Amino acid sequence: MQNSTPKDIGSINFGLMEPEEYREMSATKIITADTYDDDGFPIDMGLMDPRLGVIDPGLECKTCGKHSGSCNGHFGHIELAAPVIHVGFTKLIRRLLRGTCRECSRLLLTEDERGEFYDQIDDSRKLGRDLNDVTKAAIRQARKKDRCPHCGEIQYDIDHEKPTTYYEVQQVLASEYSQRIAGAMQGDEEAGIERTTPDELAEKTEIDIGRVNEILSGSFRPREGQRKAIEKALDIDLTEEDTNKLMPSDIRDWFEAIPDEDMEVLGINPERSRPEWMILTVLPVPPVTARPSITLDNGQRSEDDLTHKLVDIIRINQRFMENREAGAPQLIIEDLWELLQYHVTTFMDNEISGTPPARHRSGRPLKTLSQRLKGKEGRFRGSLSGKRVNFSARTVISPDPTLSLNEVGVPDRVASEMTQTMNVTERNVDEARRYVSNGPEAHPGANYVRRPDGRRLKVTEKNCEQLAEKVDAGWEVNRHLVDGDIVIFNRQPSLHRMSIMAHEVVVMPYKTFRLNTVVCPPYNADFDGDEMNMHALQNEEARAEARVLMRVQEQILSPRFGENIIGAIQDHISGMYLLTHDNPRFNETQALDLLRATRIDELPEPSGVDDEGEPFWTGYDVFSELLPDDLNLEFTGTVGDDVVIENGQLLEGTVAEDEVGEFGGEIVDTITKVYGNTRARIFVNEVSTLAMRAIMHFGFSIGIDDETIPEEAQARIDETIEDADDRVEELIEAYERGELESLPGRTVDETLEMKIMQTLSRARDNAGNIADEHFDDDNPAVVMAESGARGSMLNLTQMAGAVGQQAVRGERINRGYEDRTLSHYKPNDLSAEAHGFVENSYTSGLTPREFFFHAMGGREGLVDTAVRTSKSGYLQRRLINALSELETQYDGTVRDTSDTIVQFEFGEDGTSPVKVSSGDDNEIDVEQIADQVLDSEFASEEERAEFLGTKAEPTNLSEYADDRLVEGTEVTSDD
Amino acid sequence: MVDVSQHELVPEHTVLEEDVLEEVLSEYDIDRTDLPKIKRNDSALPDEAAVGDVVKIVRNSRTTDQAVVYRLVVE
Ligand SMILES: [Mg+2]
Ligand SMILES: [Zn+2]
Ligand SMILES: [Zn+2]
Repeated sequence: MQNSTPKDIGSINFGLMEPEEYREMSATKIITADTYDDDGFPIDMGLMDPRLGVIDPGLECKTCGKHSGSCNGHFGHIELAAPVIHVGFTKLIRRLLRGTCRECSRLLLTEDERGEFYDQIDDSRKLGRDLNDVTKAAIRQARKKDRCPHCGEIQYDIDHEKPTTYYEVQQVLASEYSQRIAGAMQGDEEAGIERTTPDELAEKTEIDIGRVNEILSGSFRPREGQRKAIEKALDIDLTEEDTNKLMPSDIRDWFEAIPDEDMEVLGINPERSRPEWMILTVLPVPPVTARPSITLDNGQRSEDDLTHKLVDIIRINQRFMENREAGAPQLIIEDLWELLQYHVTTFMDNEISGTPPARHRSGRPLKTLSQRLKGKEGRFRGSLSGKRVNFSARTVISPDPTLSLNEVGVPDRVASEMTQTMNVTERNVDEARRYVSNGPEAHPGANYVRRPDGRRLKVTEKNCEQLAEKVDAGWEVNRHLVDGDIVIFNRQPSLHRMSIMAHEVVVMPYKTFRLNTVVCPPYNADFDGDEMNMHALQNEEARAEARVLMRVQEQILSPRFGENIIGAIQDHISGMYLLTHDNPRFNETQALDLLRATRIDELPEPSGVDDEGEPFWTGYDVFSELLPDDLNLEFTGTVGDDVVIENGQLLEGTVAEDEVGEFGGEIVDTITKVYGNTRARIFVNEVSTLAMRAIMHFGFSIGIDDETIPEEAQARIDETIEDADDRVEELIEAYERGELESLPGRTVDETLEMKIMQTLSRARDNAGNIADEHFDDDNPAVVMAESGARGSMLNLTQMAGAVGQQAVRGERINRGYEDRTLSHYKPNDLSAEAHGFVENSYTSGLTPREFFFHAMGGREGLVDTAVRTSKSGYLQRRLINALSELETQYDGTVRDTSDTIVQFEFGEDGTSPVKVSSGDDNEIDVEQIADQVLDSEFASEEERAEFLGTKAEPTNLSEYADDRLVEGTEVTSDD
Repeated sequence: MVDVSQHELVPEHTVLEEDVLEEVLSEYDIDRTDLPKIKRNDSALPDEAAVGDVVKIVRNSRTTDQAVVYRLVVE
């Protein structure tokens, strides 16, 4: 790769290209549609002309002399037999046709009007507004003119038939004008219109009576003024539409005469873009490198879609020329012209509505220029803004509760593929040699080395020993990932900052990435087959940045709501609940076992001595071991009781979701804000391991028997449901008798529906309450619901009591057949069961009809989520594209790339939600934190006072000659 | 008619004097067209605000007590 020095882009201009420019940049004119001759050599002035660049390795480019790979290719050109319209500009062409005079081509605006719009464009440009609004308004005003203000020519409407045909529509005298006049003169007795005699008509229209008679006989065509007078007198329309097709050549002539001064008002810079250049007379032919042909296995060449399209264009172009030279009739010429237009149009865009797409022989639509650029896989979104990445890995994830939340388990085969560059120095040379001598296959090995002379050598099983001896300071070694390396970890869709976090590597056997379950909420990950991506960082800055800013522990507080997003989940919460709810007792072995995976290896003083004289520790004691010694907290907890922590001792309350949970668990949140991220990481890690130990100590499982209730309870539930059915029946009867009173603002029908819904939902709640009475506090479903680990009391009600009303669109189920939901019911049956009330529970089982209604309600949920994710994904894309260029500047303002201010202060308050206490009730005690820092930072009271400025350091004033410093210091000089 | 600008939730809008404006613009090193915009027919604007003026809007803020924003009046 010679000559690949990067170039600075000074500026970019957008505009139209002039035909002469196409010819100038062209390496050759293309005149023949053939590509290769019989021997397989490209034909001169054909579509594969060697002057257009080379794709075959070994050949030399006839234009620049370079070989394939370094020659970018060169454009050619086709001289079109007749001008055609460029599809990309059809709208602009239409606008110009409508806004300019058909005779003199000047803008249909007076000088004053034009000046006004010119000023508006200036303003818009300054304010960064869309210039199109002004130019559109200018055209709108110009279109209103019937006559040209400059030459007085009558203007006609322009009709645009998509994609590329334009008509002039004129109102001309209808051919049967005399019949129409005669008909109107007959009058209409029923409508009370009197007859008109020719004399009367002559009088009304002030046309000579002889002329009137000539007009009536059809021998004289009335002129425009006369026509209008007759139309007015008889209240009729004597015109018909006459359309006149504008050929591209006509349009070109029209545009050529538009004066430069008029174009600026239309937002066109005439120096760069003359409007007639929108009508092509020369077509550039892309270089062969942009449309390479491929050789199939059988030796046949297969050409690119663009080449196919160009072949079509050249063929038609030739036929057009031949026919014109042979003097073919106008009709044939016009047909060919249209065909040429079609091919040029589809060459640029093959997905235009109203035009059949050009197809390949196989029937597949051709992928032409615009298709290469557009859409997700297009050049912009697919190739330029999104690229493939080296040093990345992707595999299935699985949980590992023994890892820290900062860590990620990386399979050894991934670790030995992805490398980190080691710069060898005297200090790490031994280490580097060890990696190299392990070779590329044994785990902490190396894959490549780079000698000081820049040569890169592959480490192989054979050469690794020898190579290791040669490695010395100044070499580079690409060693395998090892424990403690930092990598970036990500799960799609990356909707928020915490979707991409840095983890420390722990190399492990097997094939999955392992992660601690507490990082599932930020990634929104589960283990039902989810895959995640890992990126190995390739330079020291990146690694430092990732460690300081992106590590999981730095992301514990969410920037969305300023509270912790990482915390105990699911079984951790059940476990903490079991450990602290009834404050159970543990003997020494048990207590030590619970704290086994934590830093605690000595128990505190026991809480007491049991009946057998053995010391015991309570759940509170064990949990309190994990808290910072000076933590003080008091708040209302998950279970509804007060949680009290004093000096790092849990004194009251149950530890569950609101205490240590993922979204704003009070204790985790406070520890993060007061003691820092590292302390919080330790706390969350230890809580989760303690909770796992606790839940295993007590044992926790759930089965179908945990949701069944005694028969007498079932009987009471049945009774409740029957009661409700009766009440619904009563409501319906009252409604049918017309005695139901409507609620304010509702119809009677709506009132009935509401009352039925109310009755039935109360019935379900009652059934749930009856069922609840029979569940003990240690019922696992109850424990999970109470602690906030998973599920709710409603789930329990539906399992044990009754599933309740199924709804579609927030109403009882009303759809299906005419006047009924299913053919099992009579028409207009308003009863509970006919509209989707499920009186069974999940345990007792649903009837077929109930099951069907339940499926209807369930389907709505599925459809909703599917629609919501696609909608929110699109919204997210739009939002990110809109915000991506905003940046907070060093002066605190938020600006876009053109330096326009969006916010004067980040978030209008210059604060980060993570650094601000978000709740009003639990304020962060800044004084306390400050005191702590000062305590740990300064050994003596004196130093501390000096730092705070309460006591100034004795200084020798001569060292600080600056008056400013002397002023206000209380220190008196010794001198 | 209700005068919205007197509502307690509508922050104070005041037209900036030319010399104060110069200071603001030089502080941020911008032209007045780089400021956020506000429509002349916005009911929160004081009557004397004309197109091309810059208004200062002072809002109450939970976190910083007061948040100040400048906007250019456009038609
Ligand atoms: Mg999943
Ligand atoms: Zn070349
Ligand atoms: Zn004219």
